[in-house]
Amino acid sequence: MGRYISIFIVIMLLSGLGACFYSDTKIYEVEPVPGDPPVFSVSTNLDTLYNPAVNDSLEVIYNVEISGGELYYLYADVGSTSIFESDSTSGSFWIYPTLADSSGIDSLYMEFYYSSNSNSLADKAGYEAIIEYLSFAIDFNLEDKK
Amino acid sequence: MRRRIIFLIALVMVLVSSPNALAQSYGITLGLGVASVRMDDMKYLQEHILGTYPVEGQITSSFPPFTSVSLAVFKQLYDHIRIGGAYTYSTTGGKSSYADYSGDISTEFTAMSHRLGAYLSYLVLGGDRLGLSLKGRMDANFTSMTIQSAYSIYGYTNGLSNKYRSISPSGSVGTELMYKLKNYSLGMEAGYLVDLSGDLKNSESGNPLLDPNDLERTLNSDWTGWYVQIKGLIWLNF
Repeated sequence: MGRYISIFIVIMLLSGLGACFYSDTKIYEVEPVPGDPPVFSVSTNLDTLYNPAVNDSLEVIYNVEISGGELYYLYADVGSTSIFESDSTSGSFWIYPTLADSSGIDSLYMEFYYSSNSNSLADKAGYEAIIEYLSFAIDFNLEDKK
Repeated sequence: MRRRIIFLIALVMVLVSSPNALAQSYGITLGLGVASVRMDDMKYLQEHILGTYPVEGQITSSFPPFTSVSLAVFKQLYDHIRIGGAYTYSTTGGKSSYADYSGDISTEFTAMSHRLGAYLSYLVLGGDRLGLSLKGRMDANFTSMTIQSAYSIYGYTNGLSNKYRSISPSGSVGTELMYKLKNYSLGMEAGYLVDLSGDLKNSESGNPLLDPNDLERTLNSDWTGWYVQIKGLIWLNF
């Protein structure tokens, strides 16, 4: 009889070992209610030009208007080459002929990252964004330079 | 305070060395149960940390009553008086968290208490089988507190973990009801522990854990609360 009691006590003790370390596996899960997305618009000095030309250089001037949100970042690339980045809502940068590839026509890509207003953790921490893309064909006038 | 400690030590020495002791039995007790804790400062810190979240998180647990295990060796000095040394381990903790489709953030507190001390019990009602005792105990209470915060956003994870410790004197009074079988007894004990809350210090740097809203104040651990245990006792008759 004593042996069975001992075995029972040992089993009880072993089964309770996990309780020697406090842990809580519960997680408070939330489905965020998104707010209205920001009203975003961007204008550049290239908007009205058709295949703007790069002779000695070409200045690109941009201006962002955003309400109900925040502009996180702007990246500008010519082809696959990064040429500019900023977190400012207005500014300018230059494109030089050295960026030309063999075809003479290349693309300027501008990516604007701004707040999503999704009210998620990533949104609140600034790690979630809506992206607005702009692209322009840039003519490096290689034919004229030959 | 010093006088009281000297008095207590003297009393224990007199009792232990008493030549007229009626019984010389020794024994071991093992207890397993639950203890509640006060931990006001840690609950306060938990609220404060939750307030720093960029989103509205929630406290999912806040230092609930949790496991308490004790081991004691004792000497039966007289029919009614028993003295001994005891070790008790208690644990509790807290957690606040938030999770959505983009990631999660959480803060976990894990608290462990190691109490080592001496006790004196007095049998107030006793028969052949059943015995009801009053028990008083003094301890040194060593607390280990780990505070971990972590977040994960779109696969990017980061976290921080800090360990704190404190030492505080504590005392408890309780009632023990035991039923004697052959060479062992089974029963239960319930009582109240008063912990004279110890200041928490970082285990590595030794820096105190300060109140974020009052940098003059050090936060402390406080294990004050009720406890109840199921107990087993084995008699060792040398």
